Amino acid sequence: MTAAVASARRRRLGVDLAGSINLIGSLIKYFSVAFALPVVVALWYGETPWPFLVGGAITAVFGGMLELVSVGKERIGAREGYLVVSVLWLLVAAACALPYLIADEPQLSRPIDAYFEAMSGASTTGASVLVDIEGLNHSLAMWRQFTAWLGGLGVIVLAVAVLQRLRIGGRHLLQAEAPGPELDSLAETVRATARQFILLYVALTVAEIAALSIVGWTGLDDRMSFYEAVGHSFSTIATAGFSTQARSIEPFAAATQWVIVVFMILAGTNFALMYRAVLRRTPRPFARDEEFRVYMFFVVAGSAIVCAELLSENIFHGAAAVRHAVFNAVSMMTTTGFASADFNQWTALTALTLVALMFVSASAGSTSGSIKVVRHVVIYKVLRRELEQTLHPELVSPLRINRRVLDERAVRSVIAFALIYVGTFALGTLALLLDVARTDVSVSAFDAIAASASAIGNVGPGFGLAGPMGSFAPYSDFAKGVLVTLMWLGRLEIIPVAVLLTRSYWRN
Amino acid sequence: MRIIVLGAGQVGTTIVEALHDEHDVTVVDMHAERLSTLAHRFDVRVVEGNGTSRRVLQEAGVARADLMIACTSRDEANIVAALFVKKLAPETQTIVRTTDVEYLEIWRERLLEVDFIVSSELETAHAVSHVIGVPAARQTDVFANGQVQIVEFDVEEQADPEVVGPALRDARIPRDAKVAAIIRGGEMRLPRGDERILPGDRIIVIGSPQAAREWSEIMAGRSQRVEDVVIFGAGRIGTAVARLLLDEGLGVRIIEADRERALVVAEELSGARVYNATGIDPEFLDRERIDAAKAAVFAMRDDPKNYYAATLAKLHGVELTIAIVHDSVSMEVFERAGVDIAINPRALTAEEIVRFAHDPRTQQVAMLEGDRYEILDITVRDSSALVNTPFRELPMTGSLIGAIVRNGTAIFPRGDDVLLPGDRAILFAESSRVHDVEKAL
Repeated sequence: MTAAVASARRRRLGVDLAGSINLIGSLIKYFSVAFALPVVVALWYGETPWPFLVGGAITAVFGGMLELVSVGKERIGAREGYLVVSVLWLLVAAACALPYLIADEPQLSRPIDAYFEAMSGASTTGASVLVDIEGLNHSLAMWRQFTAWLGGLGVIVLAVAVLQRLRIGGRHLLQAEAPGPELDSLAETVRATARQFILLYVALTVAEIAALSIVGWTGLDDRMSFYEAVGHSFSTIATAGFSTQARSIEPFAAATQWVIVVFMILAGTNFALMYRAVLRRTPRPFARDEEFRVYMFFVVAGSAIVCAELLSENIFHGAAAVRHAVFNAVSMMTTTGFASADFNQWTALTALTLVALMFVSASAGSTSGSIKVVRHVVIYKVLRRELEQTLHPELVSPLRINRRVLDERAVRSVIAFALIYVGTFALGTLALLLDVARTDVSVSAFDAIAASASAIGNVGPGFGLAGPMGSFAPYSDFAKGVLVTLMWLGRLEIIPVAVLLTRSYWRN
Repeated sequence: MRIIVLGAGQVGTTIVEALHDEHDVTVVDMHAERLSTLAHRFDVRVVEGNGTSRRVLQEAGVARADLMIACTSRDEANIVAALFVKKLAPETQTIVRTTDVEYLEIWRERLLEVDFIVSSELETAHAVSHVIGVPAARQTDVFANGQVQIVEFDVEEQADPEVVGPALRDARIPRDAKVAAIIRGGEMRLPRGDERILPGDRIIVIGSPQAAREWSEIMAGRSQRVEDVVIFGAGRIGTAVARLLLDEGLGVRIIEADRERALVVAEELSGARVYNATGIDPEFLDRERIDAAKAAVFAMRDDPKNYYAATLAKLHGVELTIAIVHDSVSMEVFERAGVDIAINPRALTAEEIVRFAHDPRTQQVAMLEGDRYEILDITVRDSSALVNTPFRELPMTGSLIGAIVRNGTAIFPRGDDVLLPGDRAILFAESSRVHDVEKAL
């Protein structure tokens, strides 16, 4: 009888719950493999591998159990995708938090702090509640960097394989331009596309590790050991911004900073575009791509504004001003969140510019977060058309990106996404401000705005206490909860989660 | 010559009218009444039936025919008939009328086994463009079905400095194009490597359509053209006209009453401004300042509607009105009633077909600068002394070969290429030298 009731209920439900749980379970199970890397690091440095072995075991067992309780070969469809993606990120973050708790790291001993740090990694945000990052041992610090890299990997798969199919924010029609014939044959399936991009992701990481190692070996930067090279490469390509140093990239030499600038820009570039350029061995796709050109424009414009201000306010001089302006503008824009200097101490104009760049962000199809350049381009074109049509009501003008006509439905969902993004950001700010009024943490209105923008945009640092050299540690537990939620929402581009909140999602 | 004409509609009738005196013509059509009208007017044999049927084609005498002209209003029927004829009687030449430019493109790529294809749309578009005349880039003539274009430019200050100014050997000249002549102060200069193109010159370029477009861009420089043409009706003809005018660097506005169609055209032609409007709303015409247009083309389906819209546009101050007419009777009505130019696509198509039918090796000749220079289309004789001579060794005699058409394909020769017997050389020459050139080839 109970079985009949259960099956009747299941039939009334529009979502295949068992199938979703099954898939989540099996993905979590595979995720446990990731714990192998910190174990190796721990053994190499003579540290204890137990936090990772235990964490990995718990993860594997938990995933396996989820699989077991939902036996059956349910096939999941697009509808279940929203649920799987949303829950998966929460659970992966939980798995990432396990070693912090098991290792009994004093700075992360409270579950909310451990979860904040883990979600910050898994969502490639790079915000931290740590005050003394150098206090972590090698394996735990590397695990922190690695979670960010894994998050970025997930994002790439999410971006190319999932969000596109779920038609999030008009993304399905925004993939740069139609892949060329060579690419078509290679990318017949989503799986193949995902594999190509993962390959590119790994290649970029290896390239950065090599570049940074060379900087270290040639003595251009004495601090850049192989360990640091790996750790920072993980964090750069994922556009996360975790550093093994409390003062981020500041202690490293100029050469290191420039190398990281290049890789941040690459990490913020559409992977489909990069793949095409690599495949055809020509940089021409970049020059032709509308989004890439606007992206470059903002990199230059943002850097120029910051640079001019740094020079005129005598904060830095000459080459240093250029370097710090470019580094921090690119870092904020690509939603990485590294800092080459404490921009918290700069002027109001630089602060505003950097926060504005968080909203500009980088390209679709990259690991960066936030709204993304292509959506800004679409919105700009929509507005221009609206103005034009007030003068010429009969004008028929389809919107084009890279000469391809955009479907009006995609245009609408881009606008909807931008609105929902800004709305969520505003709500987040409000929640932080209400919390500030309740507690006595010294957070200004601008700091709250920056923190909310930074979290939902998966950038990392904010201003004030939570500046690039500071930490979110002083924030209340409630505020940390708000920020964790924002990071999670931002990473999934909000809509999958928002869809779960609608009644019709659950109805048959 | 024995000629079979498929289709006794307007195009067919015009063709029969032109050919029946000198040739032995058989007309095939599915409608008996059309055939009897035709048989009544001209001395032709008629066969009733479907031109795509083997029995009908054999009955029409395809085996002994020299030429088959498929000019029904149905593209596919025309093509099927022509392909069929090639199999039944390989010696018979075939001409196909199409309303779809795409078939023309396919044919140019030699994917259709047809000797000659005429597209009504393209013929019409060329006629319209000819009437409007683009001042900075005058398209003087088109050879080999549009594969070779001869374009004349008045070089202005805003032209691309990478081409205008430096010596020709350093200038960034588009591929598949040759500067045939530079005319400066009334004197022609042959474009040697050390010669330069300068503002104020008039140049003549022979090249592929793509190269001609690139040249237009080079000549236009960064300055935007203000002139525009308004096209009423975005059917096949309207779209073909729009595309050609856009290619020639003109601004194009299209007015289409059907919303879906307007959207399709707007998506297809990114350079055009498309309006979803009827075109007969006076308020709309005023608001969009229709009088600012250099010309208006009326390409809607209905002749009376075109007539009404053209008259209205005239009232609103459009200087040049060009109407596409579908009924041959309308021609006269239109021109009498104040429409500046009436163009009948069917008549154009028939003319073009007749031209080919009369003599497939017609030498097209165009005059430039009054009659001082000529563009010639000469077929190279077997006995020409210049056969097998590399181009760089050809004598410079005040003439220049811009392109050769070999087996129907245009080649834009480089220094190593050689002339072969049977090549059609498209060349530019001073009129006084034409005789020598003809003799040499």
